[in-house]
Amino acid sequence: MKTLFCCASMALSLFQLQAQDTLKHVLRPDSIIQIGYAKGSLSNLSGAVEQITEEQMNRTQIINPLEAIQGRVAGLTIRKSNNGTAALESVRLRGTTSLTSGNDPLIIVDGVIGDLTMLSSIYPTDIESFTILKDASETAQYGSRGASGVIHIVTKKGMAGQTRVNYSGSFGISQTYKYLDMLDGDEFRKVASDRGLSIMDLGENTNFQKAIGQTGWQQNHNVAFYGGGEQSSYRVSLGLLDRQGVIRNEYSKLFTSNMNLSQKMLDGLIDCELGMFGSVKKERTIVDEQKTFYSAATFNPTFPDHKNSATGAWDQVSTASQITHPLAWMDVDNRGLTSFFSTHGKLTFHLPADLKLILFGSYTYSADGNDQYQPTTVWAKGQAYRGSTRSESLLGNLMLTYNKRFGAHFIDLLVLGEMARDTHEGFFTTVTNFTTNETGYHNLQAGALRPWEGTGSFFENPSQTSFLARANYSYKDRYVLTANARADASSKFGLNHKWGFFPSVSAAWNITEERFMRNLPYIDNLKFRVGYGLAGNQDGIDSYTTLALMKASSVVPAGNTPVVTFEQLRNINPDLKWEVKRTFNTGLDLALWNNRILLSANYYYSRTNDMLYYYDVSVPPFPYSTLLANLGSMENYGTEIAVGITPIQTRDMELNVNANITFQQNRLLSLSGMYHGELVSASEYTSMAGLNGAGFHGGYNNIVYQIVGQPLGVFYLPHCTGLVSDGKGGYIYEIADLNGGGVNLEDGEDRYVAGQAVPKVVLGSNISFRYKQWDLSLQINGAFGHKIYNGTYLSYMNMASFPDYNVLDAAPQKNIKDQTATDYWLENGNYVHFDYLTLGWTMPRKKETSLLKGLRLALTVNNLGTITAYSGLTPMINSSQAGPTLGVDDKRTYPLYRNYVLSLSINL
Amino acid sequence: MTTFFKKYGIALVLTTVCCSCGGFLDEDPKGFLKEEQAYATRDALFRNAVLTLYSHIGGYNDSEGLQGTGRGIYDLNTFTTDEAIMPTRGGDWYDGGFWQGLFLHRWGVSNEAIQNTWEYLYGSILLCNKSLEEIRSFQERHPDSDIIAFEAEVRALRALFYYYAMDLFGRIPLLEKSDNKASDMVQAERSELFWFLVRELQQTAPLLSEERSNRPGAYYGRMTRSVAWFVLAKLALNAEVYTDDHWTDGIRPAGKDIKFTIDGAVYNAWEATLHYCNLIRQAGFELEKDYTANFAVFNESSVENIFVIPMDKNLYTNQYIYLFRSRNYSHAAAYGLGGENGSSATIEVLETFGYETDDQDNRFDDCYFAGAVQDLSGNPVYLDDKQTPLVYEAWKVDLDVSGKPYEKTAGARMKKYEVDTQAYKDGKLFDNDIVLFRYADVLLMMSEAKVRNGASGDEELNAVRSRVGESTRTATLTNILAERQLELAWEGWRRQDLIRFGLFTRAYHARPQLPGEASGYTTVFPIPATLVKTYGLKQNWGY
Repeated sequence: MKTLFCCASMALSLFQLQAQDTLKHVLRPDSIIQIGYAKGSLSNLSGAVEQITEEQMNRTQIINPLEAIQGRVAGLTIRKSNNGTAALESVRLRGTTSLTSGNDPLIIVDGVIGDLTMLSSIYPTDIESFTILKDASETAQYGSRGASGVIHIVTKKGMAGQTRVNYSGSFGISQTYKYLDMLDGDEFRKVASDRGLSIMDLGENTNFQKAIGQTGWQQNHNVAFYGGGEQSSYRVSLGLLDRQGVIRNEYSKLFTSNMNLSQKMLDGLIDCELGMFGSVKKERTIVDEQKTFYSAATFNPTFPDHKNSATGAWDQVSTASQITHPLAWMDVDNRGLTSFFSTHGKLTFHLPADLKLILFGSYTYSADGNDQYQPTTVWAKGQAYRGSTRSESLLGNLMLTYNKRFGAHFIDLLVLGEMARDTHEGFFTTVTNFTTNETGYHNLQAGALRPWEGTGSFFENPSQTSFLARANYSYKDRYVLTANARADASSKFGLNHKWGFFPSVSAAWNITEERFMRNLPYIDNLKFRVGYGLAGNQDGIDSYTTLALMKASSVVPAGNTPVVTFEQLRNINPDLKWEVKRTFNTGLDLALWNNRILLSANYYYSRTNDMLYYYDVSVPPFPYSTLLANLGSMENYGTEIAVGITPIQTRDMELNVNANITFQQNRLLSLSGMYHGELVSASEYTSMAGLNGAGFHGGYNNIVYQIVGQPLGVFYLPHCTGLVSDGKGGYIYEIADLNGGGVNLEDGEDRYVAGQAVPKVVLGSNISFRYKQWDLSLQINGAFGHKIYNGTYLSYMNMASFPDYNVLDAAPQKNIKDQTATDYWLENGNYVHFDYLTLGWTMPRKKETSLLKGLRLALTVNNLGTITAYSGLTPMINSSQAGPTLGVDDKRTYPLYRNYVLSLSINL
Repeated sequence: MTTFFKKYGIALVLTTVCCSCGGFLDEDPKGFLKEEQAYATRDALFRNAVLTLYSHIGGYNDSEGLQGTGRGIYDLNTFTTDEAIMPTRGGDWYDGGFWQGLFLHRWGVSNEAIQNTWEYLYGSILLCNKSLEEIRSFQERHPDSDIIAFEAEVRALRALFYYYAMDLFGRIPLLEKSDNKASDMVQAERSELFWFLVRELQQTAPLLSEERSNRPGAYYGRMTRSVAWFVLAKLALNAEVYTDDHWTDGIRPAGKDIKFTIDGAVYNAWEATLHYCNLIRQAGFELEKDYTANFAVFNESSVENIFVIPMDKNLYTNQYIYLFRSRNYSHAAAYGLGGENGSSATIEVLETFGYETDDQDNRFDDCYFAGAVQDLSGNPVYLDDKQTPLVYEAWKVDLDVSGKPYEKTAGARMKKYEVDTQAYKDGKLFDNDIVLFRYADVLLMMSEAKVRNGASGDEELNAVRSRVGESTRTATLTNILAERQLELAWEGWRRQDLIRFGLFTRAYHARPQLPGEASGYTTVFPIPATLVKTYGLKQNWGY
């Protein structure tokens, strides 16, 4: 038996399965799965849909639900942030397809529509399955919301039978195993004296990277009660995820609760389902990762790891203005409190003539608070910040379905109307000039000043209305045709552009159902799919951008009183409309030899037009330098191959190898288009990510760009031909004059496209082996074909910054005295990462008693190691999310750490 | 039962459809003003069409504001000259070669700071245009309203922004509407702009207030008549440069041939300069007895300052980062403030001031920190080790002092403004009003105009000198230029002065002349490359 977190309905069915069936995940063709609003069988499916049920989920210790499927789904890239918040930095399904607008896939939990933040209110083991809708023919059901793919999560429900209890829990510790190799205190002193540089030598030998660290630990507990009878069932669970990070003061505590009830009424005429989930998360996090790790690496190592006993303050190096004493920085108190509550109800009316009427409504409330205090030891006069936001989301839909089999024909129809309204509001305030650090942010009156721009509040309430019609038809289960027609209207767009129409169509051929296939009994399943569809997108934009509104902009003196004046503050675009993505998808599913070889392949091509984006426009004619408009276009294409092989399958032993590999490519086709009857073009080179820190302000420090004709996020850099002497004993980067006429580092001059930031190939694989009650599972992930800019080494190899800033061990010998950003520090980003190894033991079935129905113990070690040629700490930086850190490793990477986790699951 | 559900269902569907038609998708913004509300009354119009423009005189972000922030108009006028230098100090101040690029005049056509400065100026100009349209539309709706002064004030402000834009970029589009098409993106010759600005200011000046702009009160920080006159004087003084449409051909119009018509009379450029300076003098401006009073924490009482950026750390967001970025870390810490240890005086400044000579100008200690420095109680300032006193090594200044023993201490630093010990944000938010225009400059302009017109300018020059206890000098052009450096140090005039005197492109310490620079092409900055590419604007010569 192989489930780590075994509970609820899945658990029971699994425990009843024969051992040899449990390691691989074959969904039978007649399995019923939820595909968006529709329910259907796998054989009637014509789009690219993947379902991950519990036994395919990752067996490592999971903080965020999506970690359960990391590396398990072709085309899904999940980037975890390292910090204690367990937040996901980004999730991409089939890459980035939009410049601004919501690239995160739509998250739906039991029909409740939400986003990535909603995920953290779900305890991972409460999840029964993930369904991932990838191509437009299926995501079209969600119209605009589903443009970046859909991840549909179904939580566990109760089931008929006596009341059962499941407990699952784990305990683990985290230990840092790799730091940057900086000069230690003695080396620092020696290098300084060798070079005749005067330093502040306080005589210590402190490794500040270690000093700001601590041993991390985590404990997770989840208890679920479930049961039910013929007419009703229920499931209630409570969870706690408690984590202390590997950096001082870093922690997060998450309490979750999930309740599902179902009741049949009026002789089965009505099914009533009620669900509720909620969570409270308290956390303390690092306020600025770059400042933290930059300081820890480069602060003078001869300084002590304690306060100066004479002054009671941290000793500072005032000449190193971009960093601070790393332990002083740890005094910054930055806490967050997030509470989340969602409730939903669903009534299914079983009408005559195979009609079903479904009413669904959900209400979600979340509140988010952030409190921060920067003591006077860090911030000249102390600064406190408090902010809070509240969001409400109300959604209701009404759906009528009809499905019927007439002999060889099967027909499934669905019509839906839906309305949704969100409200987001909040405020923040900043106070400075504290005379004491004692009260922190708890008493804002302890600060003397409230700068005008430090206080603000906001409100918006976007709404959306949608209609959907869907038809699914199959003939003899051989030929399947699905068509969706969805119309969406959003309040965010201009008066005549609110509605968008997003149809899709897909077809499938179940070749195994053909007569001629009967001669090939070893083929269990062979299916060919093709689909095409449109999806709209609007997620990334704010409300009110089409209206000529005036915002409070500044305080100016009017007579002897200050007054606030209002200005437009942005270019207004009344013609804003939907961004539209067209996707073509074709795929093949194959199962051989009693499902011992499974193969699934998909090819997709998508093109996004009318891209919503804040384009850089010229001032004049525009009064402001960015314009939110529908202008450019982008294409994405790729191939996803998933393979599952079971080479050994006996009663006592089973070996499974699953791998998925994704080849993805992206290209920015255009950043220009018509606006108000005139051609508007964004600048040819738009920088996305650059370098920060001492000596990196402005100038030629842009690294990653978006350039038309190139993939989104390319390294556009001067070419370094090597190190040359600076004539004073040091070395500088020699820069090639690529276009003649002398070296000029400006855009369009001596720079070239040196590679892309996003991997071309992504690999996820899992090897699992079972021998009797013992099992072993190894997860390996990898990414290839991209590059990483090692801005950390560019900074830390620069001897010109020594001794104000400490340098790498290797720096004195290389003696580079230059920090010009060239391709010298552009490195290959390929890696293979051994994500985790789990050893588990499951109680044999024959030992089960009426009291103890299941037991499993497991030990997991994660972050086993990484194979890479990349010289920095880790190649697993942000290589997927378009933004200011894309592809650039710049002094902000966490030290690497490993978790050792013991977990236990009991079924009573 | 069935019919019940059918009816119920249909009713629900209908409700849904109706809701979507009945305003469900309309936006109802809270927290914003609708445009029509913002200009609905005379008071609202005054706030949101006139007063709001003053928030663009000072600045908070880089490249915004006429002075106070970095990488904007002030830096382009200062770090490109022999007045100030931002030495690369090891890991500090290299900044991707930006500062060295400014000093060496190798700034390129896609320079972000230059482009941002352009965008700040044109953004402000278009905002003025928008305000003018709103004011005129209000006037149409309320013909009896007396808002002619609003219009004049906004036009004069627009002229001020255009004056800086023309000075920096030469040949630029002259836009008088807020909504412009690509076809409106036509460059005017520099002389066209020049005469447009002269006309605008001549027409609006009589309608502006006679109040003093540097004094708290109704016109604090605003465009008043004397401010407009000051800009007119600057325009006239630099008329030889501004009416030269082909600045790389080596030929410049002569000031005596440039004719201004003022109140029906015809003046040449120098006479026009004198005319406007005299108007300012007659308005009652005079030299402060104490040079430093103009830059005091409370400098609102100055009788010399003409136009300032009002500063109040509790009320306004305008920053003044120049002291912050100049002072050494330990030096700033001794004041309880922050420092970034950057900007320094050049060798040329030290020479002009006669630093460490018997004739050292009295203003040196008012404008610069050099040698050992003291905290506010007069105690020496020590470095981190609490033993080594901080000593600024003024003569060691260079483009790159990395790795030198004086890496952190080379260069005389900015003083000028009195230390506001209550300042916050590292001293960037202080109460000293930022001085943009002052009367000493008026006197020096008069002296120069007289000399250029063949008369003696001794009286005005020596009025400025004697105020600080300096001996008299003959008003030669050389002495006047030197005096401007002495009197107006750190005030953002050096680039314009050097260009007028034909010395901007010369070589000086640590700055060789660029190939081809003798033509004078670097006397204007390049039109940002994106505008050349997108709208076909003609790039300035030489770039």
